[in-house]
Amino acid sequence: MRRRTFVKGLSAAAAAPLLTPRLAAATSVDDLDPLVGELTLYLGRGEGGLYENVLEAIEKRNPDFTLKIRRGPTAALANVIVAEAGAGVRGPDVFWAVDSGAIGLVSDAGLAKPLPTDLTDLLQEEFRFERWAPVTGRIRTLPFHTGRLQATNIPDSIMALPDSDLSLGWAPAYASFQSFVTAMRILQGDADTEAWLRRMDKRAKPFAGELGVVMAVERGEVDVGLANHYYTLRLKSGKPDASVDLAFTRNDAGCLVNASGVLALNNDDLTINFIRYLFTTQVQSFLAREAYEIPLVSGVNPPAGLPPLDTISPPKVDLTLLADLKPTLDLMRKAGVL
Amino acid sequence: MKLSTNTNRAALNGRATFFLSVFLLASVFTAGHATGSGAIGDHVNDMSANIDSYNDEVVWLIGKVDVIVDTYEKEGAKAAAPEAVVDHWEAVDFHSAIEVNYIPLYASIWQGLFGVRVAIEEGAPIDVVRAEQDKLEQTLWQSLGAVKVAAQYQERGLLPDVEATTPDSPIETIDVIKQRLDRTLAKYAEKLDDEAIGIVQDTYLNLFEGIEGMLIEQDADLVESLEIDFNVALPKAIQDGKSVDDVRGVINTMQDKLDRCKALLRAAEEQRSDVF
Repeated sequence: MRRRTFVKGLSAAAAAPLLTPRLAAATSVDDLDPLVGELTLYLGRGEGGLYENVLEAIEKRNPDFTLKIRRGPTAALANVIVAEAGAGVRGPDVFWAVDSGAIGLVSDAGLAKPLPTDLTDLLQEEFRFERWAPVTGRIRTLPFHTGRLQATNIPDSIMALPDSDLSLGWAPAYASFQSFVTAMRILQGDADTEAWLRRMDKRAKPFAGELGVVMAVERGEVDVGLANHYYTLRLKSGKPDASVDLAFTRNDAGCLVNASGVLALNNDDLTINFIRYLFTTQVQSFLAREAYEIPLVSGVNPPAGLPPLDTISPPKVDLTLLADLKPTLDLMRKAGVL
Repeated sequence: MKLSTNTNRAALNGRATFFLSVFLLASVFTAGHATGSGAIGDHVNDMSANIDSYNDEVVWLIGKVDVIVDTYEKEGAKAAAPEAVVDHWEAVDFHSAIEVNYIPLYASIWQGLFGVRVAIEEGAPIDVVRAEQDKLEQTLWQSLGAVKVAAQYQERGLLPDVEATTPDSPIETIDVIKQRLDRTLAKYAEKLDDEAIGIVQDTYLNLFEGIEGMLIEQDADLVESLEIDFNVALPKAIQDGKSVDDVRGVINTMQDKLDRCKALLRAAEEQRSDVF
């Protein structure tokens, strides 16, 4: 088993910008033109309603701007957008989705308009795409019980995890977990992924959701879990002495960075200028501060308690491919984990 | 005796399209628009015009149950055919009026119907059966009162628009979760165990999961307790065939905890920093 040495733990809250410095720094809201007119936004739900705070703030700041919002589960809204387009019904101007898979579904249907490069250049290079923009990120992690383990005791390969002597917890029915398995399929292939699932299934205790996984780790019910980063950060925020810390694998699906994303279905000035608000220093900082999401623009600090991404090595995966869930679910059923 | 879910599903087949895609009650009442097949009937959108009809139906239903109990007293369980109480209940429009307006009482009616039915099927003494009958009658009258009040609200346009039931804040989400727990109890009282558990699982994954990250910052122990309730205590109570009152107890406890969650979230929202 390879041992990791680079994770400093949550107490070493990093204040450094993520990844390498950028040429284009995030803009301030004070530099943006006022919004005037009306837009329709489809909002895929998530992050405990904090996206709503952002939208309310944008409307409040722009009294001549009206936002009509349709809310719903992200995947369902993506399907609605495609169906509406097929039926010739006027759909939204903007789609803000909690996961990039749903973005891929709309983008693959040829409905997303190109975004201007001065907007996409605000993002770190690996997060620049022509027809959508990741708003904020989340990373897959291995929360571990600090009473029994140190980060160096955790395998730095996700594929090696089931072969360790650690007790494990996972939430196979959880959507983020399924996106992670999709990434593993892309990176490792179906056969290795199925074998991994089968090995894990013999070792891991299942939970309904990933907060449950993190809390089981904290209680010492299992040594290590698989979960998105923010549950551990939130738990540590409310319970600073919680016996849990984060470890990361290296360059595999175990440290996948997934993202919420936005795309334009209309490329008029109002639509594009509205999207610019989401990439301001203020909005990115708010989402990092309050929702523990990872800013993907330059010059904005990550959430407290998360090591800078440039100390981690997430894999390069086309995030929009994560929409292809059916083969993943089929594989998980075949392996007996669903 | 606890009937199997399949048996009851077959018995309830006649109103299979009855299930609504709406969640109920802003606090007590909510609008009763049918959104699906239309089996619910337009009457629920104009309850004031149908109050007399509902009243007649309640009287008719109570009479039908009384005949069943009288027959049981004189001729025994087989002649009484107590399974007909469910058919009679399904035959009345009042059924949907109370389901879309006050789901806790809807659950109690089902509990009362099965209370009478099971007491007869088990050969209980007549005074026990009469006691169950009295409880059912009280619940039916109470429900009629609830529908009358809801009808007044509806007439004044005070019932919330069911189209707007998608919660757009964590606090609204908690209200919807509480309503879905009421619906869980209603389905359990109908002996639709699988459907009841399905509602619990869906509520956890699609609603509670979305807010528990915020809650864990406020009170990790409370979240952990609700995690156990959603994933263990409530499903187990249903799977173990506990009494409706026992399941109601679990749900009431969860709703009390959710009220505490709401207070915590409201306080946290007041402290939250501004975006700009």
